[in-house]
Amino acid sequence: MAHLSLSEWLARAESDRRFRENVTAIKRIDATDGLFAPYPQWVNPAIQKVLSGRGITKLYNHQVRAIELVHQGRDIVLVTPTASGKTLCYNIPVLQRIIEEPETRAIYLFPTKALANDQMAEVHGLIRELKANIKTYTYDGDTPDDARQAIRKQGNVVVTNPDMLHAGILPHHTKWQKLFSNLKYVVVDELHTYRGVFGSHVTNVFRRLKRICRFYGQDPVFICCSATVANPREHAENLLEKDVLLIDESGAPRSAKTFILYNPPVVNRELGIRQSALTPARNMMNDLIGNRIQTIAFTTSRLNVEVLTKYLKDMFRGRIPDDHYVTGYRGGYLPNLRRQIEKGLREKSIMGVVSTNALELGIDIGDLEVCIMVGYPGTIASTWQQAGRAGRRTGESLAVLIAKSNPMDQFIVENPDYFFTRSPEYCRVNPDNLLVLLHHIKSAAFELPFEEGEKFGKEDLMELLAYLEEKGVLHRVDQRWHWAAENYPADEVSLRTISTENVVVVDTTETGDHKVIAEVDWESAFTTLHDGAIYMMESQQYHVDHLDLERKKAYVKKVDVDHYTDAMNYTNVKVIDDFDKKIKNDIIIEHGEVQVTRKVVGYKKIKFYTSENVGYGDVDLPQRDMHTTSYWFTLPWDLLNSLQLTRLDIIDGLAGLTYCLHHISAMLLMADIRDVDWCIGDKSGEWYVRPGNNRRVITTSPTKPVAVMENAYDPTIFIFDAYPGGIGFSENLFDRHDELINAVRSVIASCPCEHGCPMCVGPLLEVGPSARSSALQILDMMIGP
Amino acid sequence: MSLKDRLTRLVGEAPKPGEGKAYPRQDTIRELRARIDTIMNRRERILPSKTPEARRDALPLEHAVAGEEVQTQHGTFFMSRNIIDAGDFYGYSRVRDLACPSMPAAAFLTGHRPFVDMLITDGLFLDTETTGLSGGTGTFPFLIGLGWFENDSFVTCQLLSRDFSEEVAALRYLSELASGRQFLVTFNGKAYDINLLATRFILNRSHDRLAGMPHIDLLHPSRRIFAHRLENTRLSTIESQILGVRREGDVPGFEIPQRYFDWLRQRDGMFLKDVFEHNRMDIISMASLLKHLTDLVENTVEIENCHHGDLLKLAMFLHERGDAARSLPVFELLVASPHPDVAAGARRSLSIIYKKMRRWDDAVHLWQILADDQPHDIFAIEELAKFYEHQTRELEKALQLVRRLLDHAPHLSQAACISLEYRYQRLLKKLS
Repeated sequence: MAHLSLSEWLARAESDRRFRENVTAIKRIDATDGLFAPYPQWVNPAIQKVLSGRGITKLYNHQVRAIELVHQGRDIVLVTPTASGKTLCYNIPVLQRIIEEPETRAIYLFPTKALANDQMAEVHGLIRELKANIKTYTYDGDTPDDARQAIRKQGNVVVTNPDMLHAGILPHHTKWQKLFSNLKYVVVDELHTYRGVFGSHVTNVFRRLKRICRFYGQDPVFICCSATVANPREHAENLLEKDVLLIDESGAPRSAKTFILYNPPVVNRELGIRQSALTPARNMMNDLIGNRIQTIAFTTSRLNVEVLTKYLKDMFRGRIPDDHYVTGYRGGYLPNLRRQIEKGLREKSIMGVVSTNALELGIDIGDLEVCIMVGYPGTIASTWQQAGRAGRRTGESLAVLIAKSNPMDQFIVENPDYFFTRSPEYCRVNPDNLLVLLHHIKSAAFELPFEEGEKFGKEDLMELLAYLEEKGVLHRVDQRWHWAAENYPADEVSLRTISTENVVVVDTTETGDHKVIAEVDWESAFTTLHDGAIYMMESQQYHVDHLDLERKKAYVKKVDVDHYTDAMNYTNVKVIDDFDKKIKNDIIIEHGEVQVTRKVVGYKKIKFYTSENVGYGDVDLPQRDMHTTSYWFTLPWDLLNSLQLTRLDIIDGLAGLTYCLHHISAMLLMADIRDVDWCIGDKSGEWYVRPGNNRRVITTSPTKPVAVMENAYDPTIFIFDAYPGGIGFSENLFDRHDELINAVRSVIASCPCEHGCPMCVGPLLEVGPSARSSALQILDMMIGP
Repeated sequence: MSLKDRLTRLVGEAPKPGEGKAYPRQDTIRELRARIDTIMNRRERILPSKTPEARRDALPLEHAVAGEEVQTQHGTFFMSRNIIDAGDFYGYSRVRDLACPSMPAAAFLTGHRPFVDMLITDGLFLDTETTGLSGGTGTFPFLIGLGWFENDSFVTCQLLSRDFSEEVAALRYLSELASGRQFLVTFNGKAYDINLLATRFILNRSHDRLAGMPHIDLLHPSRRIFAHRLENTRLSTIESQILGVRREGDVPGFEIPQRYFDWLRQRDGMFLKDVFEHNRMDIISMASLLKHLTDLVENTVEIENCHHGDLLKLAMFLHERGDAARSLPVFELLVASPHPDVAAGARRSLSIIYKKMRRWDDAVHLWQILADDQPHDIFAIEELAKFYEHQTRELEKALQLVRRLLDHAPHLSQAACISLEYRYQRLLKKLS
């Protein structure tokens, strides 16, 4: 049977009524020609020769602009699509300078080790062909001890990650004297990944890096590359705290691309259940790969990688001899296997791969034809980056986004204009979160004593130093603050979170052969590892026998049961300080500092497939308290009472609205859904709403199940940063309140379900039959005529 | 609200504002605070019984430690200088006897030839006490202990930075002292003290005179020679197990950083008294250890007074350094050792030397003894097989020996098995 080409396949799919019915948008992006420019005069002939040998006889105009600016010593951020040759934008000026001044040093920073390795291969290739004596090394946790000294002394280009810079390089800067005394360039690739908590930490690592550079009399040029985000220049300037020039017009040619948004059909209108996103993904991939069209699928979880890979392997078993014709790819696979898969993709011996976002960043896997995204990747930027995996240089490519059943995904596929026309998300950092800042001030003091009048961050450094002195970690003498403790402060903070504690999961199924099978972060442990919970890992269920918070261990045993558990959390928020306030249609909108109290009070046992409640259990865990920042709005009773709804309907409506608001907030913030949390209550923390065993109840404390809701307290909806001290989301949500509420309304109004479903106000069984209509009435009232 | 208030509230230390009634202290707040506190104060807590109690009247440093302030153009620091007389005992030895370690032996131990022509009186013994063991730029060597031989007696000179601000002066003084010396003697100084000082010189923008100085680091030879019979190779362990020195009331190393922090806060000389003594003992121990090691190399110790295991390790060490002239007589002595393990080890090593020298009769003799003692000694039997195959061409004899091993030797490794099997097949082929 003849194989279809991608264009033929597309034509056939588009004429198929059943396929078309589920497509909410098809967008064709035309091919564009490249804009070229000659090499600048100053570029070393040897470099030009090597590049010409690779077929690069001229540069794209954005590359020329970038290397010219870097050559002039300007800090830049480069925002251009995948396959636009961004690596040359830093490799040319860096190699040029090293050829001119052999002592020159550069640091290349990548967010992950895999990317660093990929880049190493690229730079090594160039250097080999240049036949120049330029030494390039990766320096990360895997670097053997005996190699480290050579790297410190000789490496012209040191390729590493922010975590290593933070814990391995800066605290030992004297061993890197040669590097820091000659550091001319710092390359920061994938800049957009440094946002939220991670970005806030990385900003402080840059503060420390610049401080150390000053000590050695250097002021390196920063060369940053970012995927498309709304505020690349602002983000670069926030991270580096210096002026940065933006280059965002790509001169690279672009191939034609078709982008399809696909919403799986509704299979149960009553409960608002759609077909699983995995089903159309599996069918499309099967068909595409069967036609020898190379396809990559991205899923949003590691579990789904395994599930989809298994489905596909089952479908192809017997049809093709090679077991690796379709394969999975994710963090957790051994490096060797990953390299093999990357090679197989480049050589087209692997025709289908299912991956997490591990392959999203710039790892070279050649040009694939089709990219299928199973679920919205969470941000517009990520979506374009994943879509860019298909058709880097080929003539025609296809990207399909298949929506899952949650408000975020539904909003995206049902509002194609939002997705296609809007600029992508903003990157935010809050480097002056006091806890984050304090960690880095300690690390910085360890690296070099602080001097009177020095600046570090936007808070009053002298006051923070005085605080640390009082705590006994710093010692002040002669206007200098010295590190005066035994420990190594950089070891005490991980850049990827604020808290550093983890709970290890110990499998005690085999007596005498206890195994650690997983690590769970402190916060998640309360909801996933409480006594009696069913913990799932690699499709295996484990019963949690005991959670020992003191020793940070959870003891589990393998079980095979027909249910899973869902923790019942109560959250109570009390306003401590309001920073700003506005009033719209009598709704009071504010943001500020809050105290959040959370407690897991019990759990539900939920049966697989039917999602029935098959039992309850109590949990006795301490409550957790934190101070953070929040955005909130208050709906006065006078207004709500005008809606002619019962008290219970109003509560259900508010709950449904909040469910959707939570998801849409995360979407607008470009944040993980767990980075923000929600609560409905009142500003004084007197009462709040939580799910009861059957319906929502209003309560004043976790032990008292039901209380009378007084008219005196107006209901308030909080969306807060789920990190102590806050991470800067709240002010942004406050500013974008109208946009947020309109988006929430659009999702709830356009949902095809009857009474509410996980795609709009939450699962019907949890929110009650009136939630959807009540939520819509409340939203209409908020938006006004 | 002030930054401080925000901080204390964030870490849960202050009562929250706007609370009329006492709010029950939340577990998590307490936990967060505890966490921040452990992070900030993560240092070994000293057992109260061992710590000099915080005294109402702090003892001036000069009263606790014999010494005085030194004034330099870079500032002041505190120095304690002591002389141990030639006739004083240290462990098993008199100080005067420690003063003459063989420098050629030191050259052999370090593999650094130029020591041959240096004098022990040009050596600077060095050991630092620091504010932590983690390394990195924030670790502060607050006490720099030095020592040298002067007319058969041993001088110790300890430089204390009474505060961080005195470090420059102490470091410059150290540089001056070092510039009058030829080489350094330390225990683990290559990996630790000298690196740490290099960092401090850079931080204080001073020239590091120690870098590049010839250096006898006693840790490595000690580990090679004594590790086989010690639970660890810390200086204190070597001191008590090898040199026969007992310290009374010594301050444990892990307590030292806290002693200094306590001193910084309370300025009570009692906190540092024991630290000075500990450091001084370490320096003297290094002198004693250097003498002991060089004596072993020079073979000047009566074999009856020596641990035979140490001698075997020493001979192997010397052999690796390519010094057959010194290692051979030691091995030859040890084959007669009453300790079977030592004797067997010596026979093995010696047989290889003989083999290289083509002293076949002597080598075969040793293999024979080994094989008689241990009928399945793979090493000896394989060597004999090789000998018969290649030297005397007695292929049958060789074949039998290999067969014996293959059939009867317990615990043959896979690699040994393959190699023996290969040899066996080759012998069979040659025979046919």
